[in-house]
Amino acid sequence: MITDQTVFATTATVLFFLGLFSMFYSRNLLKTIISFQIVVFGANLALFSSGLGHASNLMANTLVLFSIVVGASVEAVALALIVLVHRAYGTLDPWKIRRLRH
Amino acid sequence: MTEVALFLCAALLVTVIAAIFSKSISVTVIMLFYASLVLGVIFTIYQAVVVGLLHITMFAGAMSVMLMTVVLMTGESKLDIGNRKLAALLAAITILIVAASSYSLFSGTSSLPQSPSQPTEGILAFVWMFRPWDLLILIIIFAAAMIGVVNLLSKEERA
Repeated sequence: MITDQTVFATTATVLFFLGLFSMFYSRNLLKTIISFQIVVFGANLALFSSGLGHASNLMANTLVLFSIVVGASVEAVALALIVLVHRAYGTLDPWKIRRLRH
Repeated sequence: MTEVALFLCAALLVTVIAAIFSKSISVTVIMLFYASLVLGVIFTIYQAVVVGLLHITMFAGAMSVMLMTVVLMTGESKLDIGNRKLAALLAAITILIVAASSYSLFSGTSSLPQSPSQPTEGILAFVWMFRPWDLLILIIIFAAAMIGVVNLLSKEERA
């Protein structure tokens, strides 16, 4: 029987791997950050689904809260770095940036 | 309740796939905004209201605005949807999400099964007891990130 927990866990896994796939294959740093956000979404949903229907629901919520704040902080710093990289190299393509560095 | 979960998960997957595979960064950011909104609604419907609201505020609000700002600063993409049909579709999705969440929130009781205590309950209770420390760590992480961002962006002006 399909439960809510199963649905959420499956969706979380799909989100996680979609984000990971996109992170590896994107040719734009902005898209890489967006993919990272999708990975964070997957992790949040997995944490949340792990606590569904258990007495430890509050604990799962706490972990999701922690994950949200850490994910947002990492993303804010990464976006600031992207702005600096764009100012320095004029592009957001990681391959071009690597070539321009040498 | 499973139908609502299925519908919301399908909406989440559709928005995420559209965000990943769209060629325009502005469409990607808009789709990501919708994905954050749907995930926030999932949390809210399943009785994690604080988490849901924080998620919507943080990701659908702050992070979307930051992404839009970076897109504008770097000039990577025109911030133009360019198609009225697409705009109408996005508006319809928003209305559907709001309607689904309103229905679930105001339709009465939603019962989640409560299982008996787990073997890990002792550890979890210990962590829960030190919840203020957890909040303090969160504030420190967030403040450190903001100081880092301000420092990174002000470096060029000083040089």
